[in-house]
Amino acid sequence: MSDHQWKILVSAYADNELAPKDIASVELLLKENAEAREYLAELRRLSSHMRINVTEQPSPDLDHKILATIQREEKSMKPQTKRTMQYATVAASVLIVVLAANNYFFAGHSLTRGNPLHPTVMVNVPVSPVMTGALSPAKVEQRSVALDAEKAKKIYVNNGSVMAEAARVFDAFSGSRMKSATDDIGEQYTSRMPNAAVSLRDGTKSLGNTLQYEPYYTNAVAINSPSVPLVQVGEANTEEYASIEESRFLESAQNPLSTFSIDVDTGSYTNLRRYLTSNQLPPKDAIRIEEMINYFSYDYPKPEGDEPFSVTTKAAVCPWNADHRLILIGLKGKTPDVSKLPPSNLTFLLDVSGSMQSPDKLPLIQQAFTMMVRQLRDQDKVAIVVYAGAERVALESTPGTEKEVIISAIQSLMAGGSTAGGAGIKKAYAIAKENFIPNGNNRVILATDGDFNVGVSSTSEMTRLIEEKRNEGIFLTVIGVGSDGNLKDGRLEQIADKGNGSYYYFDSLQEAKKVFMTELGSTLFTIAKDVKIQVEFNPSAVKAYRLIGYENRKLNKEDFNDDKKDAGEIGAGHTVTALYEIIPAGSAEKTADVDALKYQKAETVKSDEMLTLKLRYKEPKEDTSKLITKVLNKTEIKDAPQGDFAFAASVAEMGMLLRHSEFKGTSTYDQVLQMGKAAKGDDKFGYREEFIRLVETAQALDVSNSGGMQFK
Amino acid sequence: MRTDEELLQMYYEGSHDAFKDIFQRRKTEVFNFALRFLGNRADAEDVTSDVFLQLFSKKYTADGSARLSTWLFTVARNASISRLRSQKFQVSFWSKSQNGNEYEAWEPADTAELTPELMKKKEEAALVQKAISALPEEQREAIILREYHEKNYAEISEILGCSLEKTKILIFRARETLRVELAQFIKGGQI
Repeated sequence: MSDHQWKILVSAYADNELAPKDIASVELLLKENAEAREYLAELRRLSSHMRINVTEQPSPDLDHKILATIQREEKSMKPQTKRTMQYATVAASVLIVVLAANNYFFAGHSLTRGNPLHPTVMVNVPVSPVMTGALSPAKVEQRSVALDAEKAKKIYVNNGSVMAEAARVFDAFSGSRMKSATDDIGEQYTSRMPNAAVSLRDGTKSLGNTLQYEPYYTNAVAINSPSVPLVQVGEANTEEYASIEESRFLESAQNPLSTFSIDVDTGSYTNLRRYLTSNQLPPKDAIRIEEMINYFSYDYPKPEGDEPFSVTTKAAVCPWNADHRLILIGLKGKTPDVSKLPPSNLTFLLDVSGSMQSPDKLPLIQQAFTMMVRQLRDQDKVAIVVYAGAERVALESTPGTEKEVIISAIQSLMAGGSTAGGAGIKKAYAIAKENFIPNGNNRVILATDGDFNVGVSSTSEMTRLIEEKRNEGIFLTVIGVGSDGNLKDGRLEQIADKGNGSYYYFDSLQEAKKVFMTELGSTLFTIAKDVKIQVEFNPSAVKAYRLIGYENRKLNKEDFNDDKKDAGEIGAGHTVTALYEIIPAGSAEKTADVDALKYQKAETVKSDEMLTLKLRYKEPKEDTSKLITKVLNKTEIKDAPQGDFAFAASVAEMGMLLRHSEFKGTSTYDQVLQMGKAAKGDDKFGYREEFIRLVETAQALDVSNSGGMQFK
Repeated sequence: MRTDEELLQMYYEGSHDAFKDIFQRRKTEVFNFALRFLGNRADAEDVTSDVFLQLFSKKYTADGSARLSTWLFTVARNASISRLRSQKFQVSFWSKSQNGNEYEAWEPADTAELTPELMKKKEEAALVQKAISALPEEQREAIILREYHEKNYAEISEILGCSLEKTKILIFRARETLRVELAQFIKGGQI
């Protein structure tokens, strides 16, 4: 060994930085070589002499400098109050409401028809900026703002969506962001702009809703268009839900076709469960009835032949309106032989920003993903990308033969920092692409509390990216977590939708187990994509119909045959259920009031059929859809729903009660309980029993729907 | 006692007191690093205040890899290097470091406090500092982080942004030079 070389080794040895294999040879050298020993001794003396330099203390000047900066910062926060008063005055001439960009913002839900609004609004103005990832809400001050009576009427008429010169008001709020010497110019830690919250009152009685605007996003879009989700917010809470305008009854003569995309997401049910288990009623818009119904599995017959799913139709008397009927459409996906399932190329994209710290977030995700990894096969592989202030590949693609490596990577993650979701997604897709398995199951699984700060223009950019990748065969599954008020449910569901994936909300390890263990096959393996349903009703049998739920899944009738239009997907073994409430022909009930057509005469073809159900789906790797058609004949419908049908009906009824639906008819929690208990069936995993418990909780909490005093 | 991360989180939630705590906790080591690297107090204080002002403006993000202390050193190191680059004349730097008075600008001028031993120590300290200041920057950073801040090679590599192998070599080379410079103190069995 040259002089140089052994000295380097001894130097590292002195620092205890040698690899075990080198330690032995150095110790041998030291034993045999006096020069080496002297060298080591010199290094040690050198070290101790260097440390003669005591630790110096900085002068008091340093302290002064830093403290002065902090104080300047604190001072510059004060003018906030003055400015907010100005904004409140501006707001006075304006209706409140905000809104915006692709995914956010609010709407007053509790405004139901028949509640005239007293034209005063309390504006909650924050007096300190809310930090991204902050665990506590901003401090707010209340200001009273008089509403224009004319505009107040608008609130009423628009069913809770409030129009406003929002941009003006909120730009003003944006301008009130703290300017300080340390104003952030980088993207690393962004503080959210002050949130203005508005609560609606009827005189002095609060109607209980707050509208909240998140001015971080400033694109304004058409207000009140159905595709713009509006957000419902609880107390100083920044959870976001897309608003749902409930489907009304449509006359079959005028609207014979009902077209929608199927949906197997279950996030809404688990989210609702989260609220009820914390003894709170969920916000109205958090309730997507189709997701509640689809949370449970139903015993539909297994598919036969080439078709990836079986189609079942049933009819019964409507439990909440004896004059109406209920039609059930059920699909059951095939369960392929596990050994025949293609290998998976999974990329976990995990949010490790500061807000993910709480135990019901990152730690839960870590446990959940660990559980999932244990079930993977040798031929599967996993890569992990994490994102916080920046994105990072935490684990390069690792095969299922090295589960411990994957698990250890998952376990070592820690949360902290801001969120840069957009960059993370790009990275995750890049990794997925790099490790693409042709004919395999290529999927990105995103886990987040939804705090996606991707900047103003990036939301649509991200959507485009997701769609592009979906077309390349990389699907996206989204897992939402968190109960501290940060969940961006609407947005998460939407991006899962774009990615040909499903959205799940993990409120507990139990749910994680369901999605990642018990139903892992369904979660991961798509057996049919872009599944669309189109029902044609025969006006001579059905006067009017109403699709229960699926509001944000509706398609135009032309979309059914248009293979370019994206729709939902079915995983292996999934069941999908949709319910229609029907007003039979011959009923005197009035639904819509539309003038008869002048140029077209309604002529119904003679038929014994009640409806024709058409289904289009694509094999996962194909772009051309296939068609399945099924007919339901007119039958004498006299019976109440039985078995699974009854259970689905009870879930739907529960959903309508929680949403204060105008179509709930004679629904009551008691009826839900009665039907649900009777239809519980086998309930292998106890999900239905759990549902019954939740109904009891909701009954106790929901005074508006309960019929007064209850007696045992 | 709260961890750095806990204090930071409190700061992010609005507590300036938490920031002050982090500052008090960490200011000395950052200052000392800058002091040893730059050789004079004024510059070292400037660098230290730069580092903490950056922390105050939330430029630190924990993405699961860098701990706060590593980040602090990295920023201090970068700030020190920029300072060096921007200094007009190397000469003025040398003269600063050679002027031992800079070192004790704020110490009590009461020389009665200084025993001969203490004085000797101070002289030696000045010489050591001079020798360190004479090292090429990378070697200087590496040896300071090793000897004065007891960082392991992995951390040093992270702060300097280089490989482990390079860190090992930088430290070795620094020592080679210092052995010669400070021979009077370490040769021949002197403690």
